[in-house]
Amino acid sequence: MALALENVSKHFGSLVAIRNLSLSFDVGSIYSIIGPNGAGKSTVVNMIAGSYSVTSGAIRLGATALNRLPKHRIAQLGVSRTYQNLRLFDGMTVLENLEVCFFPQSWLTFLTGAKRLSKAERLEICHACLAEFHLSDVADVLAGDLPYGRQKILELARAFVTQAPIVLLDEPAAGLNHTETKDMAAMIAGLKREDRAIILVEHDMEMVMSISDRIDVLNYGELLCSGTPDLVRTNERVQEAYLGTTEELDDIRKLAQSRRAQGGLRANAGIVRH
Amino acid sequence: MGNSVIVRRLGLLAVLALCVVLLALVPHLPSYYVRVVDSILIYIILAVGLNLVVGYAGLLDLGFIAFYAVGAYAYALLASGQFDIHLPFIVILFIGAAAGAIAGVLLGFPVLKLRGDYLAIVTLSFGEIIRIAINNADDLTNGPQGIAGLDRASLFGLPLTTPVHFYWLLLVLAITVCGGVYYMERSILGKAWRALREDQDVVRGLGINTTTLKLLAFALSAAIGGAGGVIFGAFQRFVSPESFTFQESLLVVLIIIIGGVGNIVGVIAGAVVLVVLPEVLHFAAQYRLLIYGVVLVTVIVLRPGGLVSPRFNLGFIIRKVRTLWLSPSKT
Amino acid sequence: MLDYFLQQLIFALAIGAIYGLIALGYTMVYGVMRLINFAHGEFFMLGPYVYTFIFSGLIGLGGLAPMLDSAIAIIASFVIVGLLGVAIERFAYRPLRAYGRLAPMLSALGMSIVLQSAVRVTVGPQPVHFPAIVPSTPIDALGGMVTTVQFGILVAAVLLMVGLTLFVNGTRLGIWIRAASESWTTSSLLGIRVNRAVSLVFFIGPGLGAMAGIMYASYYGIMQPTMGSVIGLKAFTAAILGGIGSIPGAMLGGFLLGAIETFGTAFLPILSFGYIGTEYRDVFAFAVLILVLLFKPAGLLGETVSEETTVAKKDY
Ligand SMILES: Nc1ncnc2c1ncn2[C@@H]1O[C@H](COP(=O)(O)OP(=O)(O)OP(=O)(O)O)[C@@H](O)[C@H]1O
Ligand SMILES: [Mg+2]
Repeated sequence: MALALENVSKHFGSLVAIRNLSLSFDVGSIYSIIGPNGAGKSTVVNMIAGSYSVTSGAIRLGATALNRLPKHRIAQLGVSRTYQNLRLFDGMTVLENLEVCFFPQSWLTFLTGAKRLSKAERLEICHACLAEFHLSDVADVLAGDLPYGRQKILELARAFVTQAPIVLLDEPAAGLNHTETKDMAAMIAGLKREDRAIILVEHDMEMVMSISDRIDVLNYGELLCSGTPDLVRTNERVQEAYLGTTEELDDIRKLAQSRRAQGGLRANAGIVRH
Repeated sequence: MGNSVIVRRLGLLAVLALCVVLLALVPHLPSYYVRVVDSILIYIILAVGLNLVVGYAGLLDLGFIAFYAVGAYAYALLASGQFDIHLPFIVILFIGAAAGAIAGVLLGFPVLKLRGDYLAIVTLSFGEIIRIAINNADDLTNGPQGIAGLDRASLFGLPLTTPVHFYWLLLVLAITVCGGVYYMERSILGKAWRALREDQDVVRGLGINTTTLKLLAFALSAAIGGAGGVIFGAFQRFVSPESFTFQESLLVVLIIIIGGVGNIVGVIAGAVVLVVLPEVLHFAAQYRLLIYGVVLVTVIVLRPGGLVSPRFNLGFIIRKVRTLWLSPSKT
Repeated sequence: MLDYFLQQLIFALAIGAIYGLIALGYTMVYGVMRLINFAHGEFFMLGPYVYTFIFSGLIGLGGLAPMLDSAIAIIASFVIVGLLGVAIERFAYRPLRAYGRLAPMLSALGMSIVLQSAVRVTVGPQPVHFPAIVPSTPIDALGGMVTTVQFGILVAAVLLMVGLTLFVNGTRLGIWIRAASESWTTSSLLGIRVNRAVSLVFFIGPGLGAMAGIMYASYYGIMQPTMGSVIGLKAFTAAILGGIGSIPGAMLGGFLLGAIETFGTAFLPILSFGYIGTEYRDVFAFAVLILVLLFKPAGLLGETVSEETTVAKKDY
């Protein structure tokens, strides 16, 4: 199954957040979308998931045009996502947060019970998922009471529990510390599968470079460049857009080196947002 | 240790026995008190029904009493001399519930797109429209005079005429409704409703049709309201639009909030307090309403989360009883 | 026919202006606190009572010039009812801010019962004659169709609305109110004393409500403790119709509701060949509201709320 954006634009009033963007994603790989703040990364995710309408262009999953469908239909077709700012059901337990994903998807299945998982099956899947994401010990804790890092992981688990073929991750590592980010990267890399496309929006370059099969760089709503991590790393336009001009970059490097010599600052390309 | 287990079990039995004895004693009270208890039970049923929408799904419905009116008028029209139709009570009970559900879905459709307080005002309008329509559709409902002389109800050959008869009926029904709602609360449907209350956009993002979810909540709660209305009609043997004002809707909402939103135990407490309070205040004559209002505001300012803590719910009690009985050493 | 139409038009404008003034109170309170202030109708009811109390007090003391007495009594009712609003917010709503939206609403309901029954026990439940502020005589210059009272209501209401608009858009305090309605947290971070903005809203809203009450009572020459309930409900409908939270929306909603109700009830019997009569007057307001919300879920001038806008509010 392949997901394709064809000449997609998104306007907010007079602001053009995305301009004529064409991208395609196939199952079996991890794709990263990077770009400076406000480049339009989250907007892309929101448009695919149906949270935002598309101003022009089309988004297709296989042969189906997604951009005309209501949001829940898009999710039913196999698109799941996380949010840039945590959006868990805080007043429900960790287990319940996953269970909800198995709510029967139509009146018919709801009433007849056909194709509907039994409670035991549902719980088995959810517990297996919790184990996979190291959340078993907190299954009965309220999601809102978890520490931030584990909430991020729970949201990740919620996006994967239904085995959706398209998974959109909007800054899964935002706000995590260095070790947590590393764990998160390993976890996501481990989730790569033949029948699944993972689309990752992330500011942490280490993570992006280490786990992506392809990186798409956005700047002011336009595609700047697209390719393997090595290609993107060496692309000058990317460095300029992302980090400033090369001279500025040199200055920053020097500064960082001197700081490191003093034994303080940890170089961090990610911009932490809460 | 063996001793303390026995003591605990005995204590538990004593509490249960006390409840049963209290419930069994009610019929022997003077008729006035039985009527008050009946009234409490009716409001428990209504509030538990409305709680599905307000407490679980998080949709503020201020027109709930309209469904109650639909049920009551179903009885009035189908079991009286008005059109000389005399269906049995049990049949009308189901018709009333179904009519309530249909009205609920009809109300549900236009309000699905609305959020928060818009929903509140539309449901409120709906309630008023129903009341005014009843008030003016003279040919059908006799207008403001209402319909009197409704049939005496009977259930499976047993007469339903005195407050004591209704006490038993209402008790059974209240327990059924509470049990049913409790079961639903724990099912995946209940979880989806709670999720809906927390973040409706995310729920849609999980592939759940929130429209369906809301409609279901409306229909179920309206069915309970409709059934309650049928019993009310049979109990009073008289219906008029006056019983279904906006204030009645508010009273049911108040019961839910003052008890503790989304908590069946809280709803029961709320119903007891809000039904008993005005009765107790009879001595205050014309100051009654004033005192009622002051008490209301004071209670809510002092206990904004409701009288009953959210942790003290039916699930908690059942768990407690179960562990106490099966493995008392753990508690 | 044309005369009839004109007469109805003036009536619609006058009653619409009254709805609009009350709706302003609902909308402003909703704007800053996201609270449906169910007690608001009672401020409307208190207006004429406070006015009568002060006015007869002044007369009892010998009185000044009659017009001056009225003017003092009007201003005093604005201030007294406004201060009552501030006090109620302080003691019955503010402690509940952290507890979601149902608890303050319940408190408002309780306050509504308290206010109404307090008036009932002090002056009795029966309707009382309301002394005319200006004698009601037809104004010849306008073709004899309009009375001085109608004209006065219209002028006063429009003046109040213009004043409020100027205040909210042009003064520092007004900007505080708008900022607090826009975003509570951001405003407080920017050093706006949000609590003051709230108090101010709870002064102006009830004050305007009291003015509307005085107008209404002078129109019908009568006042009673329950007069706030139905009118309050309708004014709230008007606020929603215009888009709750929007100040121009409340005014628009008020006038629209007045027009719809008046013309609807006037022409409905004609249009339906007498089958549907004027008794459906109250249904009208609600039916129109539901219809409008079907097509514009946020009201006429309200901000549309979709996931796109809520996400924007949450993330940025
Ligand atoms: N709902 C919205 N309403 C109005 N403008 C929006 C909305 N969502 C995004 N924008 C604007 O569109 C542009 C792109 O935003 P987007 O959230 O996609 O950026 P981003 O690349 O995800 O940035 P970040 O790294 O900060 O998350 C920004 O200028 C933003 O202000
Ligand atoms: Mg973003």
